[in-house]
Amino acid sequence: MRPAEGVYHRLNPTTKLVIAFAAALIAFGVRGWSGPVGVLGVVGVTAAVAGIGRGMRPFVLATLPLIASILIVNTFLYPDAHDVLFRVGPLAATGTGLAAALQASLRVVAFALSVAVFSLTTPTDDLLVDLEHRGLGRRGVFVIGAAIRTIPRMAERAGEIVESQRARALDTEGSLLRRVRGLVPLAGPLILGALSDVEERTMALEARAFSAPGRRTTLRPIPDTAGQRAVRWLVALGSLALLAATAGGVITPP
Amino acid sequence: MLGTFNTRVIALMPVAIAINIVLGYTVQTVLKLPIYLDSIGTILVGVLAGPLPGALTGILSNLIWQYTPGIGGGTIGPFAVTAGVIGLLAGLWGYLGVFRPRPAAGSQLYLAALVGAAIVLLLAIRIYTSPIYGTDPAQGGYGPGVYVLIAGIGIAAALAVAGFIIWRRDASGAWVAAAGAVTGIVAAIVSAPIAAYLFGGVTGSGTDLIVAALRQGGADVFNASLGQGLFSDPIDKTITSFIVFIILSSLSTRVLARFPLGERLVAQQRA
Repeated sequence: MRPAEGVYHRLNPTTKLVIAFAAALIAFGVRGWSGPVGVLGVVGVTAAVAGIGRGMRPFVLATLPLIASILIVNTFLYPDAHDVLFRVGPLAATGTGLAAALQASLRVVAFALSVAVFSLTTPTDDLLVDLEHRGLGRRGVFVIGAAIRTIPRMAERAGEIVESQRARALDTEGSLLRRVRGLVPLAGPLILGALSDVEERTMALEARAFSAPGRRTTLRPIPDTAGQRAVRWLVALGSLALLAATAGGVITPP
Repeated sequence: MLGTFNTRVIALMPVAIAINIVLGYTVQTVLKLPIYLDSIGTILVGVLAGPLPGALTGILSNLIWQYTPGIGGGTIGPFAVTAGVIGLLAGLWGYLGVFRPRPAAGSQLYLAALVGAAIVLLLAIRIYTSPIYGTDPAQGGYGPGVYVLIAGIGIAAALAVAGFIIWRRDASGAWVAAAGAVTGIVAAIVSAPIAAYLFGGVTGSGTDLIVAALRQGGADVFNASLGQGLFSDPIDKTITSFIVFIILSSLSTRVLARFPLGERLVAQQRA
């Protein structure tokens, strides 16, 4: 991860986490066009300010299969829609379906971009240090941090296992049944190997006073400001209030 | 009852989360199988440590999968709710001792195999007669194909469960199958509103074909997603449960007994 640069990168990690969750909540929770479009606008501006436009590309590309599926299934197969736009063979594209499909696609893109802005600007270590400083216990910090650090190593291991089983004639390309048979030689060594690490880790943690009472002192406090605290509360309460208002019918967004 | 978070469980949870993510990713993209297999770690923790650790493992798995750069998980984040429920149920199964080996022989073994097959068939019939797939097959628009498929999968699963019980000489196969299928049905019921409300009813994977077929037959957005879930989830969770059962039975008693629910996972000794 590059060192923090720019205004958005320098924000406190918890502020960015709250903003990301609020964006997800509004993108999904506020129905109609305004929720997703609003979030998309805010996220787009943030991304521009943070200067991470290029890094967002894989996040957008990853949503393409889902969006294709949303567009096809909803445009052509929307229940009880009769305003036919055009026909392809036995299937009719409807206006209601197309609108629903576009809204769902916008929601997915807005959500994916909010995730991208958060993960591209926030180093995991900073977030964990900050959360521990705010009172998340060392168990929680360990579980999340160790999980994130274990994933690349285990992915590497999974790759090695697939390669070595392929060398022993495991079929990862053949028919469905053949690929199902490949499941056990893949999952078995991966899981049993990982579980044997648990014992060692337990010993290592116990030897380092993991279950000792009291809180750890933070060596490197992450900077925070009163302004950011206000923003966090405002964003969190504001998004919840907006959600409640639209769900309860107080405001009807277009 | 709700579970224990001792150091051993805390050391297990990150490993379980990584298993969920890495195995789920590998199965879906390398082996390209139409199942998820992203809850082995969740069920493992639930069974070994109780409902609360299981639920937390599931929820954290999906959130980390979604928010960690490089492994970005498309739509997985909101399904943290489902993963949490799966973990809770797994804790319940662990507490009830579902995954404990029950060595059997002779007529007892064949009785267990029959019971196991019967449970699977019963659940398959329940799904078969679900109004989601249309109350009257003759009237439904998607033809008898869906029904033939459900019946075929149900019978194949029943035979597989009976075969497993006889092959392992262990009556627990019936329990494990029932627990897996129930977990799958609950997971489908929890997932359907999430897929329908957030993602227009689809998830961007091969199972969307089933959603399209059910929509074509006249199901609404929610019921089409539920129908797809009731199709895929019981199969996925039953396979997952059997994998967890095989893993647990290949761990030594010494290792198992150190976990909070370990006593409920080892065969009962005759006095």
